[in-house]
Amino acid sequence: MTFEPVWGVIIGLYLFLAGLGGGAYAASAYLRLKMPDCVHMIRYGRVIAPVCVIVGLVLLMVDATAGFHNPLRFALLLTNFGSVMTWGVVFLALFVVIALVVAVMDLLGRGLKVPVWLDVAGAVLGICVCVYTGCLLGVAKTFPLWNNALLPVLFLVSAVSTGMSAVLLAAIVGAPREFDRVTGFKKFHFFLPVAELFLVASLLFVTASNAESAGAASVANLMSGNCAVAFWLVFILIGLIVPTVIEWRVLFFSSVKEEESPGGHLASGVSDVCILIGGCALRLLVLAAAMPITIVQPWI
Amino acid sequence: MARYGMLIDTTKCIGCYACRTACQRQNDLLPEQDFIRFERKEVGAYPNVHVENVPLQCMHCEDAPCAQVCPTGAAHMGADGIVEVDEGRCIGCLYCMAACPYQVRVRNPQTGTVDKCRFCTVSAEQSGTKMCTCVEACLTGARIFGDLDDPDSELVREIARTNAHPIAGDLTQSKIFYVR
Repeated sequence: MTFEPVWGVIIGLYLFLAGLGGGAYAASAYLRLKMPDCVHMIRYGRVIAPVCVIVGLVLLMVDATAGFHNPLRFALLLTNFGSVMTWGVVFLALFVVIALVVAVMDLLGRGLKVPVWLDVAGAVLGICVCVYTGCLLGVAKTFPLWNNALLPVLFLVSAVSTGMSAVLLAAIVGAPREFDRVTGFKKFHFFLPVAELFLVASLLFVTASNAESAGAASVANLMSGNCAVAFWLVFILIGLIVPTVIEWRVLFFSSVKEEESPGGHLASGVSDVCILIGGCALRLLVLAAAMPITIVQPWI
Repeated sequence: MARYGMLIDTTKCIGCYACRTACQRQNDLLPEQDFIRFERKEVGAYPNVHVENVPLQCMHCEDAPCAQVCPTGAAHMGADGIVEVDEGRCIGCLYCMAACPYQVRVRNPQTGTVDKCRFCTVSAEQSGTKMCTCVEACLTGARIFGDLDDPDSELVREIARTNAHPIAGDLTQSKIFYVR
């Protein structure tokens, strides 16, 4: 039997957007606490977060056909607290409410009056959403590529990285002076794709050695099979290596003048777009490459 | 309370698909909905080679992974140890399909809901037909249905006699036993 992935592009985009939104909110809450005068960047994060998560949730509802045709069934999502998806619904619902309230307050010019506890609660829930997207896949014992503790960590790092990239990209376009001042923020952001490289390498090593041969088959799908071109070119090269090299050059080996020039901003912008492409590719690849233990099975 | 299970003797199975066709007719399934999935495996070394037919279906696991992950409670452990799907609760998120180690859950392309072998309980309750039409349809008598908790049942005696085991060992606590 040939295996068709259970979840496709729509769920991949949902996982990407939910992580991006959660990460963007956490990034904006960090800026609010550390650099409260970067009002534009804080606002960008607060707007990006609910918009991305809501678009992702709409995709999710459209994909769940039976629920889409019978919307009342979505109320049943809160019945099985043994399911990671139920916890995800709780985190997503609370997060969207907080993110929307904060976004509206900010857009009405009351951004600095958002209570700190609300921002902290939003950031914590945002991180929960990021981790949930990994755990959702992580509990499926059928797929060795998913069923390990590294995947949620990888998804969290990638989600925070894409969220920060979205905020930085908006800042390059809308508030370049603020972009120049958040050097600590940018340096932290630089290390995320580096961490991802190590996490991806570890995930592949561990999965390839899984007791079930489906682990090695999934890794082969990524490294030399159907997904290889997208994995190496889009995810590893464009999504991780190119931004690492660009940011490394811009942040650590350029003069302040160069860094703050239009050329420096353009380079940073390209790097942030690459991070976003890589983050999306990661979700799609992890969904597409995973093989179930009963299709590549020693006992059939 | 019974604890229903089944024995499938792959040494008798000729891969004729009669069980699958009977199942589709009995449960009013669409042509692309197959609650019984056939896997074929070449066994032995040349020149003594034969093809083993392995019909796979819902194993009605005691520790059903599908029921554990189902966020709406649509997939659940029903009476008599039968893993059931309440179609009216299913939103079609397909989480159960990802969680099922045997990959035997099938999406209905018309409604978007997910379903699988029911031991024919739905038709049995609605119209009083016998459970497990696949057992009756099997030309070679490869299938035996019964109560695993009844030591005098044909099922329990045959499992012991043929040394039948779940298809994947202790991957889950399966209630379908295979003779290989």
